Amino acid sequence: MILSRLSVQSFRNLAATTVEFGTGFNIFCGDNAQGKTNILESIYLLGTLKSFRMAKNPELIGWEKQFSLIKGLISDDGLNREVDLLLDQAGKKVRVDQKTVVRVADFFGILTVVLFSPEELTMVRGAPESRRRYLDRAIFAGDVIYLTRHHEYMRILKQRNALLRSGDTSSLEPWNEQLAVAGAQLVTSRVGYIGNIDKLLKETFREITDTNDEVAISYHSGSLAYSEDLNDNIDRLAAALNKRREPELLQRTTLTGPHRDDIVFTINGKPLRHSSSQGQQRCFVLALKMAEIELLRRCRSVSPVLLLDDMTSELDSRRIANLLKFLTDRRMQVFVTTTGTNDFELFEDNNLRLFHVEQGTVRPANKA
Amino acid sequence: MLQFSASFGRLLLELKKLPGVGEKTALRLAFHLLKSPGNIEALANSLISVAKNVHLCSVCFGITEDDPCVICSGGRDDSVICVVEESQDMLAIERSHAFRGKYHVLQGALSPLSGITPSQLRIAELLERLRHSQTREVILATNFSVEGEATALYLAKILKDLGLKVTRLAHGIPLGSDIEYVDAATVQRAVEGRSEF
Ligand SMILES: [Zn+2]
Repeated sequence: MILSRLSVQSFRNLAATTVEFGTGFNIFCGDNAQGKTNILESIYLLGTLKSFRMAKNPELIGWEKQFSLIKGLISDDGLNREVDLLLDQAGKKVRVDQKTVVRVADFFGILTVVLFSPEELTMVRGAPESRRRYLDRAIFAGDVIYLTRHHEYMRILKQRNALLRSGDTSSLEPWNEQLAVAGAQLVTSRVGYIGNIDKLLKETFREITDTNDEVAISYHSGSLAYSEDLNDNIDRLAAALNKRREPELLQRTTLTGPHRDDIVFTINGKPLRHSSSQGQQRCFVLALKMAEIELLRRCRSVSPVLLLDDMTSELDSRRIANLLKFLTDRRMQVFVTTTGTNDFELFEDNNLRLFHVEQGTVRPANKA
Repeated sequence: MLQFSASFGRLLLELKKLPGVGEKTALRLAFHLLKSPGNIEALANSLISVAKNVHLCSVCFGITEDDPCVICSGGRDDSVICVVEESQDMLAIERSHAFRGKYHVLQGALSPLSGITPSQLRIAELLERLRHSQTREVILATNFSVEGEATALYLAKILKDLGLKVTRLAHGIPLGSDIEYVDAATVQRAVEGRSEF
């Protein structure tokens, strides 16, 4: 899919503008804090309704403005769709081809985005929550039902925790049963996804780094060993809930389930967080993103657009060249921000559009 | 507005208590009513009449003017009881004309977050009712929300222990949506396609 046109109005510091994009690399260059990343953020919002900086609407809406408007024209396989996203103090409203959208499934999938930004390194070193969030978003990008299931699981979890807090657990059984089923559904999707992405990760890591380092990603759930079979996982989670009843009654919260699980990254058999350099970690996350793209392409026949925030920092020129080749080979549409001006020699491909970003104004430029 | 007329202000306040009605809608409704005094009187009378005459059926806890209600006292099939959360769910199934048995309205669903436990629902009354009736099958038609599902699971266990056949509406209802919002045709398919719990 291609985002061929983007209009923004009162979004962050950006001046109202309409930009036409190329089908290959679209590069936004400028000094820091001029608004480059805001453009990527607006595109990400258009695809996911979320900000990758975890920002809430009041931060996204321009200074002293009532609302912001982001509009995109997306073409996929000859089909053009227009997506309008309105952000106001009350929330977000979406229109697709001028029609208001109420159901989640009618919106998601029109623009699929994959993001790589420096902040995502926290995924390697940070709390399990950041890895779960990454995994959930990645699965959801190719599977709309997953979001509904996730909401459902969180609702059951909240209800069950409220019951545990109340101390009266005589009606706990139906919540256990539901938690086991909804939890196992999430876990089964996650285990299946991790299995697929692990294979592709090994390929993409080699493609980008030219090394023989063995990388792996696996799903961890304490002492619970899940399989790829849903019924099997329901039984395991239900048994684990029964086993932990006593400590749960004491701590008055749900101690087992996908909301407590984690994902482990390893390189040559050792945990990535301990045993590698920042550069290696960055390559790992980048390769993971490329694997995510490959999985969408192969299993879902979706060709996402890629957002690369501050691409060139901490990657050497050979790896950047490998990355660019990877993306060019797949004819990906890519949106890149960069402060450097020397990097452009690396883009030999002429399918390139350059934009200067200065104080919130985006101007198309000739190739430097 | 309040300084012009106290009664107009009171009307606005009452209208705003209704679900989905904000300041703007309340004003629009109030001004609309003012233009047609005949309508105001009819509306006021129907409101008073509802308050006076409509109450819950002492058997099924659906809304009714007579007690027991027409469904409970009429010649409906006694062997099947359909359990729903609210009176409007009963209405939705009735509109489909797919069901000829009787109903039981729980007046809600289990929700620890809102402090709703089994004792706050009309569950004891349902069990009492089943003890004295010819009922062989109970259809659990609570909503497909996690709360409705928990209620169905809770009831299914108790009812099966009583030796009753327990079924749950299964087909054609989208995940996470309320039965109230599903059109009659879909409900009909759901009643026909119920599966054993
Ligand atoms: Zn009745």
